Amino acid sequence: MMRRPLLTAAVIATAMLLQVTVVNRLRLPGGHPDLVLLGLVSLALVGGPSYGAVVGFAAGFFTDILPPADHTIGRLAFVYAVIGYAAGLLEDAEERSVLTTVAVVAFASALGVVLFAGIGALLGDSRISASSVSHALLGAVIYDVVLAPFIVPLVSGAARRVEPVAVR
Amino acid sequence: MNDNRRARVILALLLLTAFTLITLDYRSGGGGPLRRIGNAVFGPIEGAVADVARPVGNFFGSLGHLSSYKHDNDKLRKQLAAAQEQIRLHGAQDAQFAEMQKLLHLDQKAQYRMVAAHVIAVGSSLQFESTATIDVGSDDGVRNNQTVIDGDGLVGRTLSVGPTTSTVLLGNDPHFAAGARLASSGQIGIVEGHGLRPMTFTLLDSQGAISPGDRLVTFGDIRNSPFVAEVPIGHVTAVQPVNGALTRTATVAPYVRFSTLDVVGVVVAVGTPPKRDSLLPPKPTPSASSSTSKNPTTSPTPSNTP
Repeated sequence: MMRRPLLTAAVIATAMLLQVTVVNRLRLPGGHPDLVLLGLVSLALVGGPSYGAVVGFAAGFFTDILPPADHTIGRLAFVYAVIGYAAGLLEDAEERSVLTTVAVVAFASALGVVLFAGIGALLGDSRISASSVSHALLGAVIYDVVLAPFIVPLVSGAARRVEPVAVR
Repeated sequence: MNDNRRARVILALLLLTAFTLITLDYRSGGGGPLRRIGNAVFGPIEGAVADVARPVGNFFGSLGHLSSYKHDNDKLRKQLAAAQEQIRLHGAQDAQFAEMQKLLHLDQKAQYRMVAAHVIAVGSSLQFESTATIDVGSDDGVRNNQTVIDGDGLVGRTLSVGPTTSTVLLGNDPHFAAGARLASSGQIGIVEGHGLRPMTFTLLDSQGAISPGDRLVTFGDIRNSPFVAEVPIGHVTAVQPVNGALTRTATVAPYVRFSTLDVVGVVVAVGTPPKRDSLLPPKPTPSASSSTSKNPTTSPTPSNTP
């Protein structure tokens, strides 16, 4: 059966497109949530580390080339692969509390911003500065944590229902 | 244990691939084939999603107002929501119409040949970039490094162009820089974006006089790429004190609001160059005292016909 890859592709594609066409255009104070990261963490929590890493890499790569992105291609692929792997290490915890989920998402969001900024700094990207990083960090963590209790159970539940055989 | 090991090998391979991608794209200086494929494939999809999502976005935008009404009657609430949505849509349409009129006005005054466009997507996942996708591309005559304006002034420049969509680097992005001229004295310098912090104008002459309220227009580049001359940029809000620096720096408030862009135009050609300072809005009133001590002998020649 091919249902899990289909669900994965649908979740990631929807998150990517909604992010740039809707979420980023909302005038929210202090930043925006990262829908791709939320979808990725939800899927990886069910699928395990190898699955999380592969999905993360693919999601990151496509987000890298999704217009109007203008950073070095491969940066988000790297970041999301790490996040997918890390979140996947926490699979099998069927009875996860909301608090754990929120903590995982908060950690993943912070890790994402720090890794992305770190690679950017190595490449000499002038967009990376102390103020832009702290702003992105705060916005990402707060909005992702706010959305996590709604999105993560929804996507994880759907992923658990379709064919629980992981990639491994 | 075997599973864990396999996962680690997979991760290592993926990270290696990502590093290879980064290296390749970094060395090609961006704008490689992958970026072009992304533009060609995802651009049209984004356009379609944006068409569907616009009313949805408007709806979410109006939710903030709706929450303040506390009617228990469900029917009434639904009606109210529908009515509010209607108003929101009308408001958005009116605003769009006004923006188009302003753009047209500027266009007529300047005799730019423009391609009008909608903004369909903004930014990227982690919010470091200030870029936008617009729904015109090479099929409409848009090329890389062309000036993008709206009815208020300079929006940015085109960055990578696909067949039906293009990416615009907005003025407040830290990668953005444009040659600029002080409207009053004709002194030249560079306007730069700084992300969340305000834009700055660096005057190339350390002795030059700038004062708050001075207005800035684009200087214009050779063959009008990336910037055509005389597009209003913004006005000076504060001047940094000089302490032995070779240049003078001032913060700039742009005329364009980058967070609410909708209708924009890409300047694809210029007829007769516009008259000096003819496109600028009037000077802001609070600082009417303009001290223009410097003579405009170092002034640029804006006559760069294509």
